[in-house]
Amino acid sequence: MPSVTKTSLDLCQRGHLNDYVTAIAWSSKQPTLAIASAAGEIRLVNPETQQENCLQEANGESIDCLAFSSDGQYLAAGGQSGQLLIWPIPPSSHSPTILSHPRTWLDSLAWNPTHNELAFSLGRYAQVWDIEAGDVITTLQFENSSILDMGWHPQGNHLAVSGHQGVKIWHRDDWDADPEVREMAAASMAIALSPDGQYLASGNLDRTLLVWPFDSADPWQMRGFPGKVRQLAWSDVTVGQAPLLATASGNNVVIWRKQSDASDGWDAEVLNLHEQRVNAIAFQPRSTLLASAAEDGWIGLWHKAQRANQILEGASQGFSILGWSPNGKWLAAGGQQGEWLVWQQSHRGRGFG
Amino acid sequence: MIIVPFCVHDLIMVNTAINTVPVTVLTGYLGAGKTTLLNRILTHEHGKKVAVIVNEFGEVGIDNQLVIDADEEIFEMNNGCICCTVRGDLIRIIGNLMKRRDKFDHLVIETTGLADPAPVIQTFFVDEDMQGRLNLDAVVTVVDVKHIHDHWEADEAQEQIAFADVILLNKTDLVSEADLAALEARIHAMNAMAKVHRTRDAAIAMEAILGVNAFDLNRALEVDPKFLDEDAHEHDETVGSIALVEAGALDGQKLNSWLSELLQTQGPDIFRMKGILNIDGEDQRFVFQGVHMLFDGRADRPWKPTETRKNELVFIGRNLNEAQLQEDFRACLV
Repeated sequence: MPSVTKTSLDLCQRGHLNDYVTAIAWSSKQPTLAIASAAGEIRLVNPETQQENCLQEANGESIDCLAFSSDGQYLAAGGQSGQLLIWPIPPSSHSPTILSHPRTWLDSLAWNPTHNELAFSLGRYAQVWDIEAGDVITTLQFENSSILDMGWHPQGNHLAVSGHQGVKIWHRDDWDADPEVREMAAASMAIALSPDGQYLASGNLDRTLLVWPFDSADPWQMRGFPGKVRQLAWSDVTVGQAPLLATASGNNVVIWRKQSDASDGWDAEVLNLHEQRVNAIAFQPRSTLLASAAEDGWIGLWHKAQRANQILEGASQGFSILGWSPNGKWLAAGGQQGEWLVWQQSHRGRGFG
Repeated sequence: MIIVPFCVHDLIMVNTAINTVPVTVLTGYLGAGKTTLLNRILTHEHGKKVAVIVNEFGEVGIDNQLVIDADEEIFEMNNGCICCTVRGDLIRIIGNLMKRRDKFDHLVIETTGLADPAPVIQTFFVDEDMQGRLNLDAVVTVVDVKHIHDHWEADEAQEQIAFADVILLNKTDLVSEADLAALEARIHAMNAMAKVHRTRDAAIAMEAILGVNAFDLNRALEVDPKFLDEDAHEHDETVGSIALVEAGALDGQKLNSWLSELLQTQGPDIFRMKGILNIDGEDQRFVFQGVHMLFDGRADRPWKPTETRKNELVFIGRNLNEAQLQEDFRACLV
């Protein structure tokens, strides 16, 4: 049945931080958004009530990673100071839990999607923190290099960690066992597990993309990118055989669609719009609408991951980051000058709008 | 004239964009005086906001919030192609730092005493996020004039001298004038392009180490004229400098194939090279520089009517055959 409505987004709230917006996170439980900056600020925003709450003032030390626990009870942040900060949500008057790691720039963290466990990188190793027990569960040696990215399997039983020459996958039920290794020649800059748990993708420094079936060490390799493959995003809906995979490299966004036969590869479609580097991409939950944010100051909204049907503006010096609320209702984005904006989805009947 | 680089990447060392952050790379053995020099840079009233990436544990600018620790991490790509070897730690940390670029206007990177300077230099030319946002200002090497003799055989010590644009002969109070002069001559034979300064406690004018623009092609090739005039050079070390000076015009095509062949076969042994060339039929000087197989060359200003058109090239490298280079280069003359 042909759709009679078309998604469009309207600006509903905006604000300003003191420096580059480095991270955005949405709670999966409340209509709450956390925004962080390179000046060290952390702001909580409720787009429903338009309420803003300052969790941390600018302190001159960048916050670079930010995430809500899957149950929405905690917000974790890390950055230049080497402190891992964990607040209960809603924040109480008490100060946050602080885990100090001097002389380490914390730039990667990830909550287990099914347990209140927080994985974070400390240079060449990662730790997993049990928030309820208040204790380090494990320390994982990546060895090859500093850790560049990490992510949990959607079922919460595996932690994938990327860096130079590969991705290592540890099993949660036996942290001491040797990890499974997905080897490669160059450095894995960004990894993403598909929401259905079927695929692991790695964007690499040598301008390649690797995609593995999650239980296989035998990848598809994709080449021809204009630069390092710096961002990855999976759709949570399946199109044909598999979810869609979006990649950002240089000014380009490429959509990868799995061919029909299981052993076949992936078809590429380049989305041309951006005139400068694409910094962030994300699929709207339960949809194939893709948002792409770039240094050119545009956010492209790609209907069915194919056609740009709306362009959002609001960060004249370029967008740095974006994120959809888990219910798909809001899109938040941040800019290089500290701008942040939230748009709300509206459905307009065709011909009646 | 186009000279094709030999790597799978399109490696062109051009950083003409304005508003880029200059980068100084500080090398030298542990104890040579790098930390002393870093502290001078951080405390000196030069009007620059300096961010520092340190790789060796030292007491550096405790009050300065932009002193960042990093571990040296070599990222190899393309089956070990030497010019695609970069420093992963720098890509990661500088990526974070550039989000705070209003907070600094000069970046200093300290390397450990055991570091090969080439991957550091190459990172700024090869990595797409570094190109256009940062520009390599100079490689500054601090040499402990008393203890360098313990390290002569080490590749790192030779490479740090060979890659340098500025060399501080530090702790001059610890050796005699005769020893110092001998050391200076020895270093000069290894690297004829570097500016050499004698220092105590790494005391040096800031303009001698910051804002040097050593990788700027528009800057004249600066080789000590004495070095160019000397006919024969003693090369005790495997690492040395070779200068070629020839009158006459070059056949562009022959030159192109010679340089291609040279970089393909001897790229790993050629640390740095620079030159000014007189191409047949061209009114402009052709200037170039290189680091291993990375090559950057372009037409420069027109030759002045009063100038004698000639070719000057300097190679710094390991096991270079001066006679062969000379012969092959002469074969490119029209």
